Amino acid sequence: MTLLRLNNITRRFPLGSPLYGPRKYLVAVDGVSLDVEMGRTTGIVGESGCGKSTTGRIALGLEPPDSGGVLFQGFPLPRIDSKKWRAQRRQMQLVFQDTLAALDRRMTVSALIAEPLAIHGIGDSASREQRVAELLHGVGLGEDHGRLYPHQLSGGQRQRVVLARALAPKPSLLVCDEPVSALDLSVQAQIVNLLMDLQQELGIGLLFISHDLRVVRHVSDRIVVMYLGRVVEQGRADAIIDQPAHPYTQALVSAMPRLPGGFDHYVALPGEPPSPTDRPCGCPFHPRCPLARDVCRQSLPELLPLGPERQVACHVVRH
Amino acid sequence: MLHKSFQNSAGAALLPAHGIGASATKPAISIAGLRVAFGDVPVLHGVDLAVNKGEALGIVGESGCGKSVTWRAVLGLLPKSAEIGGEARIGDLDLVGARQSVLDRVRGGRIAMIFQDPASALNPVHRIGAQITEALRLHRGLSGAAARAQACCLLDQVGIAAAASRLNAYPHELSGGQNQRVMIAIALAGRPELLIADEPTTALDATVQAQILLLLKDIQRDTGMALVMISHDLAAVAAVCDRACVMYAGQIVETAPKHTLLTAPEHPYTRDLIGAIPPSHGPRMRLTAIAGAPPQRNLPPGCAYAPRCRHAIAVCRTSRPEPRQVAARHSVRCLRLDAGTYQ
Repeated sequence: MTLLRLNNITRRFPLGSPLYGPRKYLVAVDGVSLDVEMGRTTGIVGESGCGKSTTGRIALGLEPPDSGGVLFQGFPLPRIDSKKWRAQRRQMQLVFQDTLAALDRRMTVSALIAEPLAIHGIGDSASREQRVAELLHGVGLGEDHGRLYPHQLSGGQRQRVVLARALAPKPSLLVCDEPVSALDLSVQAQIVNLLMDLQQELGIGLLFISHDLRVVRHVSDRIVVMYLGRVVEQGRADAIIDQPAHPYTQALVSAMPRLPGGFDHYVALPGEPPSPTDRPCGCPFHPRCPLARDVCRQSLPELLPLGPERQVACHVVRH
Repeated sequence: MLHKSFQNSAGAALLPAHGIGASATKPAISIAGLRVAFGDVPVLHGVDLAVNKGEALGIVGESGCGKSVTWRAVLGLLPKSAEIGGEARIGDLDLVGARQSVLDRVRGGRIAMIFQDPASALNPVHRIGAQITEALRLHRGLSGAAARAQACCLLDQVGIAAAASRLNAYPHELSGGQNQRVMIAIALAGRPELLIADEPTTALDATVQAQILLLLKDIQRDTGMALVMISHDLAAVAAVCDRACVMYAGQIVETAPKHTLLTAPEHPYTRDLIGAIPPSHGPRMRLTAIAGAPPQRNLPPGCAYAPRCRHAIAVCRTSRPEPRQVAARHSVRCLRLDAGTYQ
């Protein structure tokens, strides 16, 4: 069952002052559609500026889309800051990369985890205390940790607290924006395993945003590859990484050093992703694309099915 | 099969480039018993390491393991509060405790270093041409048109298109990847024997990261300089280096040629580290999560990894392992190895 559906959403941010000349826009997200199934994980992968974080914020209703719609459990998201929206927010939680910024340094871990329960008016103080103990245990922390402050914890422990806090109101959707990027490899593995265990246990749907193709492949059932605000390819995780169809996905996969083997299959990709304020016309990827033809410079390719369970936005690959 | 193909890709390419002979066996730098402490907190507990001429060596480890501190200590880049012991020799010169005037000639000349964040390493108010020619003036005595022509060559070498016009650009006009290329050009200006790259691609996007790593590898092969790449990313190190050291809690725990390290690692920490990397292909397996965290201040009485090690036995908690040679270029610091294999 579909938990979350983004339907052709677009979000642009105005640049500069409206007083001088025609207004320029930064198009962060351009016609993105994706689904998160209940109890499953959809991963969004892409380089900086591709709009993956903005997509996550729109999915949670933290950012209104300029056009397109967000359906949560089949219903459109209520207007931001309305009473209904706040009630619904219980169901949808966010996990950030920077844990020190996400946690109030003057609150103890127990108070931090109890805070969302109090905000949503869940239980009384005794039952909250019990729920905090459960949550601490669930994310692999001891009761002693509850009395500590965020700065007394390591990065991995803080990410566990952030997770416990997000899980406190029993959400059905968790949006994780680069949840393990700031962590060391061994701790990253701890958190990834924990996240997957919790998902299995609680049946929550995950929207997992990361620049790290390895981690995204590992946790996701489906992968959405974004480039300059647009989805260039989406499909089953293994299929996307093992047989990428879009030339950008191919380059992205080949730029991931293999163990062992290094860059044995490297496809050189010239240049760097252009700024989203200055998007090329036609297919946004054409200036770097080894397959680009005239049609790519002129018209924007649509995201169309290519085989079962896969969609690709490319003029060339589809022929 | 795998073993052989690696030797061909790394080993064979190395041979003709700088004629392995007497010079290849002489180290570009040899570090012995390097210790660093900040006040009463020791961070390096005796690092022994030699980098051969023309070799690409990777240093892998998690944050706080001392991989950057080692090289900052060698180059005299640590704050004055650091107490440094041991030695680091290039030729007959010991860099530990050397005078500033000596270090000034070595840094940027015989040994160059590039850092993670190129935007903060470059001066934002000077054109990149001026920053490259400054290095050429200091280390090669070039000035005027000769320096400018050489700067142009260097930009060309690091793959910046339209080099002559790019010399007039400011760092903010270039992207992160191009700035890192400029940093590499500045590092190459002094024709170093050894280039130390400290997390050179961590701040860059995936496709750009691959470009820079391959550029470093090409330059190292073409110029015959030695390269030390410090990184938390074992896969990136393996793609560039011939040999790698794994560091844990201020010590080197395993050193081996990269194919050995990846396919037959001996130290439990190296194994766990490899198991913690999500595979890029093939079936998905549960990741190896290493319980706990590295020691914070003082080392435990026995092996530093014992508290987190799944193979630790009583003796690991009481006595300290010394590095042991298990094959020609493969050394491991583990007590279980002495007692036979632990599998």
